[in-house]
Amino acid sequence: MPSYVARRLAYSIPVLLIASFLLFAFVRATFDPTARLRASRDPHAVERERVRLGLDKPIVVQYKDWLVKFGQGDWGESSRTHDRVAPMIRSALWNTIQLILWGILVSAVFAIGIGIYSAVRQYSLADYVLTSASFIGLAMPPFWFGLIAIAFLAVGPKNWFHLSNPPLFFVGLHSVQSTGILDYPRHLVLPVLTLTVQIVASWSRYERASMLDAINADYVRAAKAKGLSPRQVIFKHAFRNALIPLVTVMALDVGLLFGGLVVTEQIFSVPGMGKLFIDSLVQGDANVLVVWTVVTAAFVIIFNLLADVAYGALDPRIRLA
Amino acid sequence: MRHVRHSSPLLVALLALALIAAACGGGGGSKAASNQGSNSNVPTGGTLVAGWEQEPDCVDWIGSCSGSSYGYWAANVTTMPRTYNVVKKGTSWGYAPSNLLTGEADLKTSPNQVVTYHINPQAKWSDGQPITAHDFKYLWDQIVNGSDIYDTTGYVNIQSVDDSNPAAPVVTFKTPYADWKSLFGGQYGLYPSHLLEGKDRDKETANGYTWSGGPWMMPPGGWQKGSQLTLVPNPNYWGTKPKLDKIVYKFITDTSAEFQAFKSGEVQLIYPQPQPDAVDQIKAGIAGSNSFYTPDTGNLEALWFNNGKAPFNDPKVREAWGYVLDRAAIVDRLFGPLGVKAPMNTINPTIVRDYADPNAWSQYKPDSSKVNQLMTSAGWTKGSDGVWAKGGQKFTAELQSTTGNKRRELTEQIIQQQLQAAGFPMTIKEDKSGDLFGSILPKGDFQVALYAQVLTSFSPSNCNIFCSANIPVAPKFSGQNWQRVNDPTNVDPLLTKVDSSLDESVRMDSNKKADPVLASTDVALPLDPLPDVLLWGKKLAGPVGDNPVMGPMWNSNLWGIGK
Repeated sequence: MPSYVARRLAYSIPVLLIASFLLFAFVRATFDPTARLRASRDPHAVERERVRLGLDKPIVVQYKDWLVKFGQGDWGESSRTHDRVAPMIRSALWNTIQLILWGILVSAVFAIGIGIYSAVRQYSLADYVLTSASFIGLAMPPFWFGLIAIAFLAVGPKNWFHLSNPPLFFVGLHSVQSTGILDYPRHLVLPVLTLTVQIVASWSRYERASMLDAINADYVRAAKAKGLSPRQVIFKHAFRNALIPLVTVMALDVGLLFGGLVVTEQIFSVPGMGKLFIDSLVQGDANVLVVWTVVTAAFVIIFNLLADVAYGALDPRIRLA
Repeated sequence: MRHVRHSSPLLVALLALALIAAACGGGGGSKAASNQGSNSNVPTGGTLVAGWEQEPDCVDWIGSCSGSSYGYWAANVTTMPRTYNVVKKGTSWGYAPSNLLTGEADLKTSPNQVVTYHINPQAKWSDGQPITAHDFKYLWDQIVNGSDIYDTTGYVNIQSVDDSNPAAPVVTFKTPYADWKSLFGGQYGLYPSHLLEGKDRDKETANGYTWSGGPWMMPPGGWQKGSQLTLVPNPNYWGTKPKLDKIVYKFITDTSAEFQAFKSGEVQLIYPQPQPDAVDQIKAGIAGSNSFYTPDTGNLEALWFNNGKAPFNDPKVREAWGYVLDRAAIVDRLFGPLGVKAPMNTINPTIVRDYADPNAWSQYKPDSSKVNQLMTSAGWTKGSDGVWAKGGQKFTAELQSTTGNKRRELTEQIIQQQLQAAGFPMTIKEDKSGDLFGSILPKGDFQVALYAQVLTSFSPSNCNIFCSANIPVAPKFSGQNWQRVNDPTNVDPLLTKVDSSLDESVRMDSNKKADPVLASTDVALPLDPLPDVLLWGKKLAGPVGDNPVMGPMWNSNLWGIGK
């Protein structure tokens, strides 16, 4: 196992190098970080900034300079804000992790529950209702759902019931003046709901399908024939096997989420990785974008690895080599 | 000084220190809030939470990372001392000395331009140290010798700053600079030299700064990047001290979410860009709120023709478009619910109306006979399909603008429909803001573009965008005359005089004369003034209003929160 993990990590280094170089070159070729200085009346402002940022050097030299510093632990400086990139990423990552953590927890509980229930009660009214709801959830654009959720779960109740504050908040993760112990959860509900609606819909379909496969497998029939209770059959035999495909999907999705909460973070004013990416992209901040890519790619690789490791834990027949 | 409006108004902020000084200056009139008088009738205490559409990239206001107008409005005008403010004077706007000065600066025009400022003896930094002539010298030195400066204009005209008298800095110019009142203020403001000299200014302000020379100051850790920026009263401010305990700017970049936050009471004040969503929301009404909107702004949105590229290198084609487009209908559709229905008929924003001929473009109204006459005389004929053609080539044009701006998308569609009906097929191309302003426009790779020019100081400065010397050329493509207007005989002399004369009446007269000259060949087609919109909750007390240059927070030291 350790050698497998080490090998997988070693393979990822060239992937990260290629990805970071491509992004670096792409951003440099398509975005001009000095563009905003075109609005300055100063005819030399652009030239001064180009020299300061090293944009007058060939792209390979620029990348090499960046890479050497990155290897030395210096993640560079944002050309947009002049801040150090490392604390920018750290701060954004922490905000995104909070959303992901709660989002994944809620999604997993609901998706697995819905998936199992739908599979066990296949073709029942509840199955049809949950299936329809899943498809609606899958088709729901997060930006639209987020705004609808704000209107009907925050602003609406506040006005309908003449409350002094909305029951749920939606600007950032904390109030300016804390409204008590429930302040944080009241800020989390709506972004987590927006984040989870598509995930629950998607994962519950996977879980339902794999549970159906498991329920109809020979070993489950054998377990039933042995006289085990339905609960034991489902949770001890079918469920554990049905988890394997879902774990793969979950690991891939979670890895991608580290860079993919753009819409949710934008609507709920959460300064996370998605928002950092958009802000940096719009202004051609290559230094931030490249580190962002490396960090995001690292999470994808780590979670893929975790999925592989989890296989072994879920199914003792699987051995990693 | 002119900026291009990217995704937002890029206005300059001139510090709100005039709040008291304005008592002997301008203010008053129309709907704009006055900064005069005391705030004794306003409730004390409380926190104002404002929804803010953009976060400043940095608060080193002279650095290349600055330039966010929302940043200036939020933190620059409230914390940085400056020499002059822009205030309302009757129906116009103009410069007035701030309370940093005891009155107007002394101006000597020959043999060199020399300006002597007289610093108010009460003026001091938040740590109690006096604001001195050395702070003036420090700012000038940082700007002309710094490596990452946003704009050195005006400061490079200065030969020396004499700080031998701490209370009266003497600024001597190498070459005349007409907009000298924007210096040592304008979009920058003074820095405390006693705290920053010998240090890396940019790094010292990287996470905000706790010194102040305005009514407000940032507390330690007051800038939580990405989330909010907090201001508290400056205890050593020598003017009217704030009544509020705190102002918190919450960064909400999504306009829809911003309005919902306002409706829910999570924020008590918003200053949204005039997007269709915002206009619709205001039209529908928002309970429990006050609103203020005005076309009296430093913005001007227009169709900017590339005068150096076909088909718009032919003035007759440009003029023909002027007689095709129903600009009044466009403006009414965009901003009618805000009461803004008339198109701009000058190339100057409304706040510099004293420098403008307000009717220079008024002849450009829909007139099909004029269109036919102009196009025919230019060698174009209308085909059986109703499309103009010349030399066997059908008319085509591409309108370029910034992506992701709903108002501009709507404007483009209306323009496209009107032109199509008149035989001018037009395609639309939207580019990223950085690409459009960073490369496409400077290189002249466009036919016609839709964007806004925004004043960043109280000076028309049209020479920047219309003088032939400012046409960008390879390899650097410096200069902002992206339209390639090339009229050294008529336009250049008039606009050069506006930038260099120290006689205000000469500047006004020259700029007024330039307006009809530019209109005669329709170098650009002005559309609308991009109204400013401000909404605030009814509990917010005091003279809340908008200053088109300094933004809405300019007199926030006079505000309070009712129970």
